[in-house]
Amino acid sequence: MLGLRPLRRDRTAVAFGALFVVIVALCLAAPLYARDVAHTGPNANHVTDTVRVGGKAEDVVSPDGIPIGPTWHGRFLLGADQNGRDIAVRLLYGGRNSLEVGAIATFITMALATLLGITAGYYRGAFDGVTSRGLDLIWAYPVPLLGIALGTSLALGGLNLGLFTLSGNSLLVPALIIGFVYIPYVAKPVRAQVLGMREREFVEAARSLGASNRRIIFHEILPNAASTVIVFAPLILANAILLEAGLSYLGAGVQPPNPSWGTMIGDGIGLLPSSIHMTLVPGAMLVLAVLGINVLGDGVRDALDPHTSARVPH
Amino acid sequence: MRKLGRLLLLAAVTAIAGLVLVACGGGSSSGGGTSGGTATVLMGTAPDYLDPQEEYTTQGAEANWISYTPLVTYKHENSPGGNDVIPGLATALPTISADGKTYTLTLRKGLVFSNGQPVKASDFAYTVERAIKLNWGGKSFFTNNIVGASAYDKGDASSISGITTNDQTGEITIHLVRPYGAFANVLAFPAAGLVPSGTPMRNLTNDPPPGVGPYMITAVSPNRTFSVVKNPHFAALHLPDIPTGHLDKVTVNITSNTQSEAQQVLSNQADAFDAGDTLPPSLLPQIESRAKDRFAREDVPSTFYFFLNTQTAPFDNPLAREAVNLALDRRALVRLASGFLKPECYFLPEGIVGHPTASCPYGQPDQAPDVAKARALVKQAGLDGTKVTVWGQQRSPRKQYVEYYTSVLNSIGFKATPKIISDSVYFPTIGNAKTNPQTGFADWVQDFPNPSDFYLLMNAKTIQPTNNENFSKVDDPHIQRELAKLDAVPATRLDSVASEWESLDEYAAKKAYVATYGSEEVPKFLSNRIDFGSAVFHPLYFNDWSSWRLSS
Amino acid sequence: MARFIVRRIASMIAVLFAISVLTFLIFQAIPNGDPAQRLAGRTSTPETVAAIRRTWGFDKPVYDQYLLTMEHVFKGDIVSYTQQVNVEQEIVQDLPPTLSLAIGAGIIWLVLGVALGLLTAARAGGLVDRGLTVLALVGVSVPVFLLGAVLLYVLAYEVPVFPNGGYVGLTADPLQWLWHMILPWAALSALFIGVYSRVLRANVLDTMSEDFVRTARAKGLSRRRVLVRHVLRSSIIPIVALWGLDFAATIGGGAILTESVFNLHGVGQYAAQSIGQLDVPPVLVIVMFGSFFVVVMSALTDIAFAVIDPRIRLA
Repeated sequence: MLGLRPLRRDRTAVAFGALFVVIVALCLAAPLYARDVAHTGPNANHVTDTVRVGGKAEDVVSPDGIPIGPTWHGRFLLGADQNGRDIAVRLLYGGRNSLEVGAIATFITMALATLLGITAGYYRGAFDGVTSRGLDLIWAYPVPLLGIALGTSLALGGLNLGLFTLSGNSLLVPALIIGFVYIPYVAKPVRAQVLGMREREFVEAARSLGASNRRIIFHEILPNAASTVIVFAPLILANAILLEAGLSYLGAGVQPPNPSWGTMIGDGIGLLPSSIHMTLVPGAMLVLAVLGINVLGDGVRDALDPHTSARVPH
Repeated sequence: MRKLGRLLLLAAVTAIAGLVLVACGGGSSSGGGTSGGTATVLMGTAPDYLDPQEEYTTQGAEANWISYTPLVTYKHENSPGGNDVIPGLATALPTISADGKTYTLTLRKGLVFSNGQPVKASDFAYTVERAIKLNWGGKSFFTNNIVGASAYDKGDASSISGITTNDQTGEITIHLVRPYGAFANVLAFPAAGLVPSGTPMRNLTNDPPPGVGPYMITAVSPNRTFSVVKNPHFAALHLPDIPTGHLDKVTVNITSNTQSEAQQVLSNQADAFDAGDTLPPSLLPQIESRAKDRFAREDVPSTFYFFLNTQTAPFDNPLAREAVNLALDRRALVRLASGFLKPECYFLPEGIVGHPTASCPYGQPDQAPDVAKARALVKQAGLDGTKVTVWGQQRSPRKQYVEYYTSVLNSIGFKATPKIISDSVYFPTIGNAKTNPQTGFADWVQDFPNPSDFYLLMNAKTIQPTNNENFSKVDDPHIQRELAKLDAVPATRLDSVASEWESLDEYAAKKAYVATYGSEEVPKFLSNRIDFGSAVFHPLYFNDWSSWRLSS
Repeated sequence: MARFIVRRIASMIAVLFAISVLTFLIFQAIPNGDPAQRLAGRTSTPETVAAIRRTWGFDKPVYDQYLLTMEHVFKGDIVSYTQQVNVEQEIVQDLPPTLSLAIGAGIIWLVLGVALGLLTAARAGGLVDRGLTVLALVGVSVPVFLLGAVLLYVLAYEVPVFPNGGYVGLTADPLQWLWHMILPWAALSALFIGVYSRVLRANVLDTMSEDFVRTARAKGLSRRRVLVRHVLRSSIIPIVALWGLDFAATIGGGAILTESVFNLHGVGQYAAQSIGQLDVPPVLVIVMFGSFFVVVMSALTDIAFAVIDPRIRLA
């Protein structure tokens, strides 16, 4: 019964994985597109300019403030936004930002969750007590509220960590916030797994052979925990991108003028009745990217640990 | 038999009398439109307060103006008539002493509040004290000008020494610290709308105090809804030039979705789109085609500008400031405002005495800008590549103005990034000396139709470390000298100094202390239930609900 | 058992306390976040600002301010910085839309999620399974505010079947209440239906391969009977646990985006507005309220599992 499914699913997983790779490649090619096809940057305003469509010169932004829809050639291929900026260019640059924030956030979550989960689960004692309470604290805090509160606060004031300062505009700010918020959802399962593992025979055997704690952690515990963590990675990445979009829509994520899929959707929602392209273009791109990650993630989960019930808040 | 007959006769007479009354009471004697009825207004932003001595936004003013009449008020007319000050609860406009420092008025006899309580002259003094105690946003108009008001504010006195009243004669005398020409306008603020002495000294938004006006505020559910209903005691007072109102009731619903707001008015499910809200540009083509007989853009004397901090790089250099004024394309900003902006270059807007008619020093606002010259100026000043943070608010279209402005700064050689922050913390943030903002969005809507109101923002005396409004930190001796003269001219003699105000404004424009780009327009957008032509749109208080009547 | 419960309650209180401290600190860290300047209004003098600071206690040290605020919270007279309205009263007024959204959507996504999960498990490997799985994955990949905005545009503007956002009370007008809730329910459920159907599907397929199922089939019971009577009962436990947590999160302000897009004036939207205005008191109360729900739900779940499985109690 299980034999055929992974194979079939694998093909779908591969197809969607390829889709995701294509999206990433397009976004990486943003500067090329901006320079050679659209001839404009992501933040250049063209409010009073005109563009030739079908032989006629059309306003990029009408006197009523309504931007032009897709022109289907070089300039303003997918239309403009209310500041007269090229949507296609912003889509690609925005994709870079959204993916960058998502990737960095995922890395932060994975790294810190592994570190905290393993250390707390293995050493136990006071460290475990404090860490577990800390994880519980973040876990109990309603995710969107924590994200928005931190996002608003840090966007206004920047982040000063003694060693280095981040301005409120930096992409690292939303990345850190999102990464931080998801830590307990990975750290707690890892810790639970490590708790279980340290009582098992192979650990006892290693210890009786005289292996130090560090050796046990790196040689026995970590490889086993790794598969748990890896299973989580696509899930966290997908949710991180979605959370960034939500935060940016509310103004607490990526800050202007940096585009991101979330900020573009936010801009577009205000103009839905007249300019649906402003919402659908970044929306479709976002959905396809996240879908690609989710399908790929499914395949990874099937291959590594089909019995997991990994869960991340939405 | 006879009893029955008499009864029948009585019944017949009553019935006929009733029919006659109904037929007469239905129509209004002046023809066109009916009396009575209710209307629904949709507001996207809740009024800050409905307590008259706290309120300081247009949303609150629309309700308070017709519920709390001050000693003097404005004509209930469209611009320009609506700018004229007329007697309210006072018998006449104030008598001003020769030195301009003493104002005398007499309270009308026989006035009562909406709860039937009689009005006394001392209620005026109490009202001003209450505005100060409650920290009304405009209380500096009182504390800076009335003798003893500042001491009262600090708690050094238990009443304001500069206001004396006589309840027997109804006489009210106000002594000013120095002559202040616009004081008659200050007396016309709804915050100076009389409330009974003894009204509690705390925010009464949920249950506003009694006042004298055609309407009174009831049924307040904060941030959700409130209503104004006819004040039964008002018509009998026969206050001249203050309409008693046609509608029985106006209900205001707060909805934060302006798209839904506009759609409901478009489909006549609600009666008014609040003029303080921004019409979603997406719906404009529909509104302009389907509702052109009940939609108009009204001018509001206001100044929308980008301040240029003259005490910090790079805008301490006049060349940089000139470059900004040269490069800004006002036509683009008009588009970003969906046409709700009249392009300007002068700080005093049209509709205010002193608005210059001379051509603009850095290019006409309806023509293309000179970006090349601007870039050359920036290079010449050696400011190429200077980092600039451009401050802005989150709400549309203000966010778009700032993003556009940032793009302009970048195109002339600066390295500009926007910093968009929440509307509610914006002005305290840029008004704080610690922030020391270089440039950003600012606006000023008239408190009253007097140029000295606008020039508060260019007056070096108003610079303060927190809640500053002179964002450009203008400190110009010539401006100070002129203001010392012009601020003292009484409002009634404003036209006599019009040309001096014009010269001053032309001077300020040449100095490029700010980059003005326009004066805003707001939508007068009603359903087909309200008679559009006779509905007054007041230059200060927007939709005059007391002028509304149902269309016939 | 009793000790376990007492321990959980103690840790619950500790978490709520810690969350309130964390929230307070997040806002304290904002430069120029001083509410006195905002409360004073645009054109006020430094003296007024100082006076307001004294009245509200903003000149006191942080821990004093925190204790003062918490005192007000427990006395029930805490007011917001903007407009000085009583926060707890506002929240009570905002509860009906949030409850309507959470309960309605919660029932829908549980029922449909389970149904879809069972269906795809029963037809595992077939076209229906693959198609519905892709649909479920799409549901999980679309941001809720995007789905909401598109639904509003298509079904409330282009083809005006539904109202354009807003909330009508159930007691005021039941039919309108329903009409206003359908689109928000659809937008919010789409996500969870996707998740639950896939989790249930995986659980069911795992359970189906277990021995007791094969025994039941060998006894001659029909596939459907096995599925519903035996398999479902054991696979549904984790679903119910999940549901409890998700439902609690939705009530506690987790549906911010849905409430904002549909303009429901619920608790989540109030929280989002307050954060945007840097209005600390409502945020504090709502965050505590929200996490209280989550913590209670998770404690109940843990207690339930502890009752079922003694091993967990000792962990």
